[in-house]
Amino acid sequence: MTLVWRNRLWGLAFALALFSSSMARAEEKIYVVTTLPDLADIAARVGGDLITVESLAKGIEDPHGVPIKPSFVPKLNRAQVLVIMGLEYEHSWIPALVSEARNPKILKGNIGYIDVSLKVTPKEVPTDLSRAKGELHPAGNPHFNLDPEGGRLIAQTIAEGLTLNFPQHRATFEANLKAFLAQLDAKIQEWKVMARPLSGVKFVSYHQDFTYFADRFGMEYVGTIELKPGIEPTAGHLVELVQNMKTEGVKVVIREPHFSEKVPSQIAAQVGGKVVKLPIMVGGVPEVKTYFDLIEYNIRELLKAAQAAGVAGKV
Amino acid sequence: MHARSRALALLIVFAFGLGPLAPAVFAEEKASELENLKKQMLQMEEQFRQLQRQIDKLETKKIQEVEAKANAALDASKKTFASQFNPAISLGIDTIGSYKSNAQGFNPGNGPQAGARINNTRPAGADFNLRSAELFISADVDPFTRAYATINASADAANNDEATLAVEEAAIVTTRLPYNLTVRGGRFFADFGVLPHRHDHDLPFVDRPPSIAAFVGGEAQTNGVEVSWLAPTPFFLRASGTVGNKLGADFRDGVSNVNSRPIKGLTYMGRLQTYFDINDDNNVELGGSIAEAPNAEDVTNTGRFERRLVGMDFKYRWYPLGYGVRQSLTIAGELLHDIGGADPVNGGPRRDIFGNPVRQGAWGGYVYAEYRLSKQWRPGFRFDYFQLQSEPLLVTNPFTGLPASTLNATGHRTDNRTWTAYLTWFPSEFQRLRLQYNRSDRGNAQDANEFFLQWTAFLGSHSHGFSERE
Repeated sequence: MTLVWRNRLWGLAFALALFSSSMARAEEKIYVVTTLPDLADIAARVGGDLITVESLAKGIEDPHGVPIKPSFVPKLNRAQVLVIMGLEYEHSWIPALVSEARNPKILKGNIGYIDVSLKVTPKEVPTDLSRAKGELHPAGNPHFNLDPEGGRLIAQTIAEGLTLNFPQHRATFEANLKAFLAQLDAKIQEWKVMARPLSGVKFVSYHQDFTYFADRFGMEYVGTIELKPGIEPTAGHLVELVQNMKTEGVKVVIREPHFSEKVPSQIAAQVGGKVVKLPIMVGGVPEVKTYFDLIEYNIRELLKAAQAAGVAGKV
Repeated sequence: MHARSRALALLIVFAFGLGPLAPAVFAEEKASELENLKKQMLQMEEQFRQLQRQIDKLETKKIQEVEAKANAALDASKKTFASQFNPAISLGIDTIGSYKSNAQGFNPGNGPQAGARINNTRPAGADFNLRSAELFISADVDPFTRAYATINASADAANNDEATLAVEEAAIVTTRLPYNLTVRGGRFFADFGVLPHRHDHDLPFVDRPPSIAAFVGGEAQTNGVEVSWLAPTPFFLRASGTVGNKLGADFRDGVSNVNSRPIKGLTYMGRLQTYFDINDDNNVELGGSIAEAPNAEDVTNTGRFERRLVGMDFKYRWYPLGYGVRQSLTIAGELLHDIGGADPVNGGPRRDIFGNPVRQGAWGGYVYAEYRLSKQWRPGFRFDYFQLQSEPLLVTNPFTGLPASTLNATGHRTDNRTWTAYLTWFPSEFQRLRLQYNRSDRGNAQDANEFFLQWTAFLGSHSHGFSERE
């Protein structure tokens, strides 16, 4: 190696070192990375001014199929805390990224790895774990964020996780959590009243993601367009589903934004029902900017659809 | 009600001036009533007590039952089984039916692979082939390392199609080194290029691009040690350096890959890769790789005997965030330049007709485009080009020291071109069917038409690692 090259290399190393130290200065706040935008919104409420938070996935994406982008790796490398939904929600992309990030703090099992599903009682835990049932989640349905009571558990787990990592800020996290939960409690009361006409309303959706929501507001899940979780429908399955919907009097078809509109519209037309596009994460539709927006939007749009289809109950 | 009527009666008595008589009558009545009430109260109290006792009894029973159940479950979970520490296991089954008008071009190497057909040792004609039954095992070793192994059985044409078992990879990887460093050691697919370190069944096509098969010799296997580093930059920048006994089949460095050798006889590899998001929906990946085998015979022989393989790779991806799962486009390719001084025919250093040692270079590469029509269907097209290196040399260019002509002895160009069209169908994430057509135009052999039908399935925890990402 010539001297010129050696000097250039040293120059490069020096520039990199300078660069990284300037980055460190810019990040005096606690840097929190979350997998999904709902977690980012709630973490921002709990962390307040102490943290900067970034979600890897955006609300419009298929949360089970987020592409493994190398640009996520430097973020995870710098993360002081990683917040994930858990219950294998992100199994197809987060383990590969975490193992490449070279950040022992956020490896599974360490305190920087906050799994918000820990307080959740999972629903639809498979009793028969076989791939013949599709790409199922062995730990149960992970879409608990759609139930506002799930939001409470998420906030509590994040607050505990942040406190464990940064005990010096315990008081702030606790105060922020209290404020968030007070607001959530008030909202839940409102939502319960608002969602009364949804009680008993039967529906189908593309993917099995509205279980927790339906249970909270007394709706009845009749089936999914997908053959099995993650498996595209076959023609035979759709015929059966429509037949079933007719027998049961199902008029509401939920389409999540990342699924194509074609099949849901066809099915709704066949039963004389309505398709309603409902986000399953914050940012799934432009109007939904916060976690509160998400729940409220879903209730409101479902009400509209149920009323239009003539299946909404009386207030 | 009763009390009220009694009060009313009292009032009437008073009203009619019978006041003086009333208290005596009332007092008598009151005393007996109180007595009755007391009795009733006591009875009720006794009833309450009995009920309470029953409730307590039932509750204790229930708690005991629940506790017994919980304890049983806890006890069961406390029992340790040797199998609890079993690693994650998956099995990939990859089977191919094919028809070839001619087998593909010959491997231009010396050493054990010399003369073998590129990509596939199977002859022309119709054929069913169990290409691989591949067992993948991985787990954490301890808080500091993890390890994985890939054990592959593929039908061996030389052994009456019996499957022969081979350890494709068995490596230990650190998880907690400081300064963004990771060390990997053992047998693994070296960090060179992109498709060279994919397993057969993880390729986007049925076959490995012929240029990769010719220059790397299939999978980029090595036995050695790799150090990789993630730059602390806001964008993705990763560098790695590897020293190993070989790269892939490594047939052109003229050194045996199985015996010990001088340090200069090892293969040294390096790779730098980066990635940029153009916006949410478009991104680009770029990489450069080098493998150098500074042969020991370089010193003992007069010839320049080393081999250097350089690769550049790119990948462009359009993957709209909202619907990339069912509609997206990938365009990717690699360009390789291989230069070496070994004589594949006679052994020893390569010489021109004047007896001067020369090195001979060759170019190769592929580019492919794949479009995702839906979650299930993905058609694609690939073009591959490479030059053969093993032709007898005619003249050396005095300025470059390289052969002046790429014509072989029979006067044909040594260019090899392959056009490929393929269609992949994913009934689910774990099963795949692929139809592929190759049209090969080879400079030194008969052209070939090849048809493949590949059926692949994965059992167990088939999750993609970072380097196998789409």
